[in-house]
Amino acid sequence: MGEFDLLSSLPAIAPEIGLTILIFVAVLLDSFLHESQRKGIAYVAALGMAALAIVPIIPGWAPEPGPTGDYLFWGGMIRHDALAQIFRIMVLASGALTCLMAVDAKRVGNKGEFYTIVLVATLGASLLSASADLIMVFVALETLSIALYCLAAFKRNDSKSTESGMKYFLFGAFSSAIMLYGFSLLYGFTGQTNLYALAQFMGTEAFANNAVPVLAAMVMVIVGFGFKISAVPFHFWTPDVYEGAPTPVTAFLSVASKAASFAVMMRFFIAVFPNDLVIGDYVIQNFWVQFMAAAAVISMTLGNVIALSQKNIKRLLAYSSIAQAGYVLMGVAALQATTPLGAERAVASVGFYLFMYTFSNLLAFAVIILFSEATGSETIADLAGLNRRSPWLALTLTIALLSLAGVPPAAGFFGKFYLFTAAVEADLVWLAMIGVLNAIVGLYYYLVVIKVMYVDRSEDEDKPIPTSQTYRWVLGVATLAVIILGTVGAQVIFEWAVQGAGTLFALLPGVF
Amino acid sequence: MVPLWMFLLVAAALFCIGTFAVLSRRNAIAILMGVELMLNAVNINLVAFWRYGTPETMMGQAFTAFVMVVAAAEAAVGLAIIIAVYRSRKSVVVEEVDLMRG
Amino acid sequence: MVELNAHTVVFAIFSIITLGGAVGVVWNRNLVSSSYWLIFSLFGVAGLFVLLSAPFLAAVQVLVYIGAVGILITFSVMLTRGMTQIKDVFNRQSAASGVVAVLLFVVLLVGVVLPVWGPSGALSSAPASDVVATTAELGVALVDGSQYVLPFELVSLLLTAALLGAIVIARDQDK
Repeated sequence: MGEFDLLSSLPAIAPEIGLTILIFVAVLLDSFLHESQRKGIAYVAALGMAALAIVPIIPGWAPEPGPTGDYLFWGGMIRHDALAQIFRIMVLASGALTCLMAVDAKRVGNKGEFYTIVLVATLGASLLSASADLIMVFVALETLSIALYCLAAFKRNDSKSTESGMKYFLFGAFSSAIMLYGFSLLYGFTGQTNLYALAQFMGTEAFANNAVPVLAAMVMVIVGFGFKISAVPFHFWTPDVYEGAPTPVTAFLSVASKAASFAVMMRFFIAVFPNDLVIGDYVIQNFWVQFMAAAAVISMTLGNVIALSQKNIKRLLAYSSIAQAGYVLMGVAALQATTPLGAERAVASVGFYLFMYTFSNLLAFAVIILFSEATGSETIADLAGLNRRSPWLALTLTIALLSLAGVPPAAGFFGKFYLFTAAVEADLVWLAMIGVLNAIVGLYYYLVVIKVMYVDRSEDEDKPIPTSQTYRWVLGVATLAVIILGTVGAQVIFEWAVQGAGTLFALLPGVF
Repeated sequence: MVPLWMFLLVAAALFCIGTFAVLSRRNAIAILMGVELMLNAVNINLVAFWRYGTPETMMGQAFTAFVMVVAAAEAAVGLAIIIAVYRSRKSVVVEEVDLMRG
Repeated sequence: MVELNAHTVVFAIFSIITLGGAVGVVWNRNLVSSSYWLIFSLFGVAGLFVLLSAPFLAAVQVLVYIGAVGILITFSVMLTRGMTQIKDVFNRQSAASGVVAVLLFVVLLVGVVLPVWGPSGALSSAPASDVVATTAELGVALVDGSQYVLPFELVSLLLTAALLGAIVIARDQDK
């Protein structure tokens, strides 16, 4: 590793340092401010995170190879590369929007602890997207998860919220234990904890002798990640947790936790299973491609089909998020494309999809928070006449849902387009076909919600939904992001992600 | 010394007993105990692999220390949630705590 | 294959404590006794750590696991009284769970233990070297910038968040 150089190591964790400072500020403000003023903490936290999200975009802040020539910093704990940057922006943006969305939520918005825990969760997710060592992956993942258990159960007098917290906790702790057992086996049979050192080991003779335990370990690790990204068949916790948790928390956990888990999952696949790994006559790669493709197909199909029959909008979005995880898994399967360019484009398509998904999903949840705070209802039927009550809100939710469905000019169209293209380039045409069919099924239930808002009538049509200034900002920023990502921004962001993906493959032994 | 496989055997058995507890018990606290057993199996694995494989480095020991700390935090949060559920439902039987369906 | 000496006997004793305690946790109807069995089992794991020349981890195991987690669980069992003596300890899928656990054990046996046991395993049954990193080195590694300082600092924030969260959630009802 060489001598430790503090100054050159600090930029690698700049967002985390900023978040730590914000955490201290939030704790201090919480103890000094009067209860009625504590909402102010939300603005401090949100502005801070938004500023930190912009840092990586500043030219000249692009990741530099560290003193050792690779992008590994802090003893190989994290890899400061473009993939990490892209996912950090997502995580920080969702953290900022979540804080603002929570401001007016009852029994959540005036609690300083809420924002402190959101900051810690964001910190965990941010480090998770950069982690390059099993130890770091574990600690960062648990920081994110434990903070989210607290947040899900945050409304302690609401029995649905505590129930959601308990379910999330039990499933999460169980899946963490399984994944950790996989980590221990990986460490044991390779003698390494660093993902990139593991990659080097995979090329050697010693791996061929220990292929079975290492593959068993990888399966356990995948089970763990499957829970975190709520892929079928590890999805059962998702609907209940999404429905019961306070809605800003649902929004946060549906995007930040999923995005960061996908980031680390891609790192695993790229580093630990390089393309040319062959045992006997069998290319290990094919096994993972098939595994991922199967998971993608089941998640997409099951998520979409069950979503068709949902009455509660939060449950609908829960099943829709299972389906979305399926689409993204398609991109992960395409990672093993045969050409280097194809693999880079696959990484970029996953990055872009999660980027647009973050904003679209947050936007949808923001409208639902407003609606349910005003009416106390979360059922789809009660959205009837929303167009007449608050035309802007209805339009915003429509844009969000169209983006999730993949209809232009919303961002989802390009997201799906890139993913399907990546799958085709990786010779997974059948997978892309199933993806398209699923997108059509998905379109149906999103359109049903839109129809309810615009066509159905209700008795409350003369009662507009009150929207605070803060909320208008949240909705405005998120809508703008969705539209930009779907029109002029799509190509720019995608090209940036493709370039970033290049550094991901750089300096990997035996790859391309 | 005792060969490595015996430690791995004990760890595997402990892990499976823990898994059985998680899958079969109805009480949330009992499930949590099962998870603790699983984590201890992981720790036995880590320390054994460290001792037999890479004893001159710190990897295994440091990993174990982190697992312990995180497990303690997880248990604290989990038990707080379980107590909050008990307060509102007077039950911590997982199947009875089920308001949401669909 | 396995010689019978003091080392082996001590290993056997601690393994029996560990696994016996674990079985006690699963089968006991009364959760209070379950939690005592858990502490018993955790103690066995601490013994195994000593055998593996990790005395510091053994001490932490006793202090953190038995001292904190074990007592915390016992307290929670007491706080949720009325739940300690429920009639049906196991849920409906307990038979299926048993099958899953046994299958998992077989998979681990074949997939993990056998490769190490067998002659082809890359890991020999004897330790790679007798030079064992000391507790002092562990202490240095945890605060060394080119080793584990980053996860170490992150854990401190995690503990802060867990503390805050646990207090907020378990605190009494709002006035």
